Amino acid sequence: MAKTADPDKAAQKTAPSQTSTGLPREALSPEDYHELLMQLYLARYFDVRLIKEKKRGRLRGTLYSSHNQEAILVGALYALKSTDWISPIHRDMPAFFLKDIKAGWDNPDRLGMSIEEVCSQVWGRVDSPGRARDNWSHIGSRANKIIHSTSMLAGTIPVAAGVVYADRLDGGDAVVVTFNGEGSTSQGVFHEAVNFAAVHKLPVITIVENNHWAFGTPVELECPTPDVADRAKGYGIPGFIADGQDVLDVYDKVSMAIDHARSGKGPSIVECKTFRAYGHGDHDDDRAAKYRPDDEVAKGRSRDPIGVMKNQMIESGMLAKKDAMAHPAEGKGAGEVTDHDFPEKVVKYLSAGVDFALKSPVPDAEEALKWVFAEDED
Amino acid sequence: MSAAAEAAVKKNYLTGLKEAMYEEMERNPDLICLGEDIGLLGGAFGVTDGLMDKYGKERVIDMPIAEAAIIGAGVGMALNGKTVMCEMQFIDFISCGFDQIVNMAATFHYRSAGEVSIPMVIRGPAGGYGGGALYHSQMNEAWFCNSPGLKVVCPSNPIDAKGLLTAALRDPNPVVFYEIKELYRNRKMEQELETGDDCIIPLGVARIAEVGSDITIVTYGNPVHFSLKAAEKLKAQGYSAEVIDLRSLVPLDEDTILESLSKTNRLLVVNEAPMTCGFAGEVMARMGRKGFELLDAPPARVTRTDTPVPWAKPLESTVLPSVDDIVNSALELIRY
Ligand SMILES: Cc1ncc(C[n+]2csc(CCOP(=O)(O)OP(=O)(O)O)c2C)c(N)n1
Ligand SMILES: [Mg+2]
Repeated sequence: MAKTADPDKAAQKTAPSQTSTGLPREALSPEDYHELLMQLYLARYFDVRLIKEKKRGRLRGTLYSSHNQEAILVGALYALKSTDWISPIHRDMPAFFLKDIKAGWDNPDRLGMSIEEVCSQVWGRVDSPGRARDNWSHIGSRANKIIHSTSMLAGTIPVAAGVVYADRLDGGDAVVVTFNGEGSTSQGVFHEAVNFAAVHKLPVITIVENNHWAFGTPVELECPTPDVADRAKGYGIPGFIADGQDVLDVYDKVSMAIDHARSGKGPSIVECKTFRAYGHGDHDDDRAAKYRPDDEVAKGRSRDPIGVMKNQMIESGMLAKKDAMAHPAEGKGAGEVTDHDFPEKVVKYLSAGVDFALKSPVPDAEEALKWVFAEDED
Repeated sequence: MSAAAEAAVKKNYLTGLKEAMYEEMERNPDLICLGEDIGLLGGAFGVTDGLMDKYGKERVIDMPIAEAAIIGAGVGMALNGKTVMCEMQFIDFISCGFDQIVNMAATFHYRSAGEVSIPMVIRGPAGGYGGGALYHSQMNEAWFCNSPGLKVVCPSNPIDAKGLLTAALRDPNPVVFYEIKELYRNRKMEQELETGDDCIIPLGVARIAEVGSDITIVTYGNPVHFSLKAAEKLKAQGYSAEVIDLRSLVPLDEDTILESLSKTNRLLVVNEAPMTCGFAGEVMARMGRKGFELLDAPPARVTRTDTPVPWAKPLESTVLPSVDDIVNSALELIRY
């Protein structure tokens, strides 16, 4: 399986042969399609709701928007088994509650964080999995198989490799999916970790969300090759390229990468081409409007993943046009969109999380001094 | 050889480390070792000699030259239930894995609010006096003492090497472990070693290496031996020095130092690392506060100069602490 710049070719080459087009999506039912669309709505609503909460003065802290990049999270996570591991970064906040959500949005036994836990983290409350010790996306859960991130970009990739090394030693078949921005792939530790994973054929799938910008630096100044996936060549591993606006294409490519990994063939890189809709964080919105050309932004935002998915469902007869228009969130910015643009299920689900977080207390001051060292259990 | 005869055999520092590793590999099937050249070759200094043959290449991993991956992958294994030993080929190279130690391993328990602990030892050959020059002579322990969540340990003899490494490999926290490579094969310092639980030296307990009454010399690592020599020289001049071997810097055994000061009323701290922000300064600061009433003279320290460690012998000797440096500082304090 070699890297190819043509995503369709890659798909045909690597797809399981029992299906007609050979694409992993063939195994998805119409219910799966509707679920994927619903999850896209949920990820989007999380983003716009937080922006609104901040504008209302009910929320502090910097927000790193995943707007326009949700298909990467939803598509990749849908390809995983419950017992697989993930490692999200700052732009992937919805990943914490989307993990294993297909096991049931309200299923308390699913291996992902609850919306209440994630909202508590956003609000810095004690019911956060990290009890509000670090901010934003720097949470994790061994129980839910989510690696605890730090600020240090690419820093969790070697940790991910170690996690699945240990799992394999214990006879497990877990894979780990790490999410990274394209900028993070320039880190030395990215190379060290992917190289180690390749040497040992570890089931590490490195997703690169190529949104063309690393804070204020364009991709041309970050990576010398046209595709970031080309980095895979040096490790002798596949470098898939997916349309990051198309949840089904992401699902296909990540599924192929997972098959490859689970069958013992080792790691791969999956580059998802996308575009950062806003500033790096909401502190950067004004400046981003200046350092990024308007036409580039317009083009980058022209294919909203919610709209792309709806169109595919309409074409395949799974969704009536009228129903598709019932909740027109696609193509709208956080300032334009209202709760009516989203399905009620999504609004209710997230509102419960927000209400919970607002009632959750802040941690006691004494907790600041706890858990520096683990107590001896021996 | 009978068991009794075997127990009577004296062994060197490196053998102490090796025995600790073999015994823990046997006792704890979840212990994984990662490092450069530690398997096939048995380690640059032979500390892991034969380990891969006995326990297999899955548990004794020959890693690429990638300190961040060695430590980071170790953290991941620990996150998923393993105990981890990472070897740095020289402790100087630990800087290449710095972020994974201070921001990933050290903080894991804290930021996960106690969900995750990282049982992990990062160990390697350290220290000067062997002509190792800038990048094979360092004592960089202060970096890690300044990073909450790490324990920092430095044995000065074979019994402590084995006992502290065994304790470190059973500790639920990341431990940075400084081995004095100049002592690895020192035959004059060979000692009889205990086995298993009996060999354990708990972290955070200092040792009185020499009992005395006129001055307390607090130190660790190779300077323990220089301090003992200095104590002999002081004795010849009629002074009695107490030498404390800290063994662990974090956690620090303050009580043993305070008890000694209540007897000697004078404090000299010796470390091989550079002066500014070195561990000696930390001991002085704490004792200057907690032991102020006990002190009859301002505490002093003997350290490396604030320079790198140069190669040529006269250059190296100029920057590293010597027995005479310790004697002179001690006399100054005693005569204060
Ligand atoms: C090691 C490190 N250096 C710098 C930063 C500051 N920083 C945070 S996000 C970011 C840009 C990341 O760009 P990219 O990886 O492309 O992800 P994106 O934000 O575009 O999703 C920078 C420079 C950091 N967090 N970690
Ligand atoms: Mg980017």
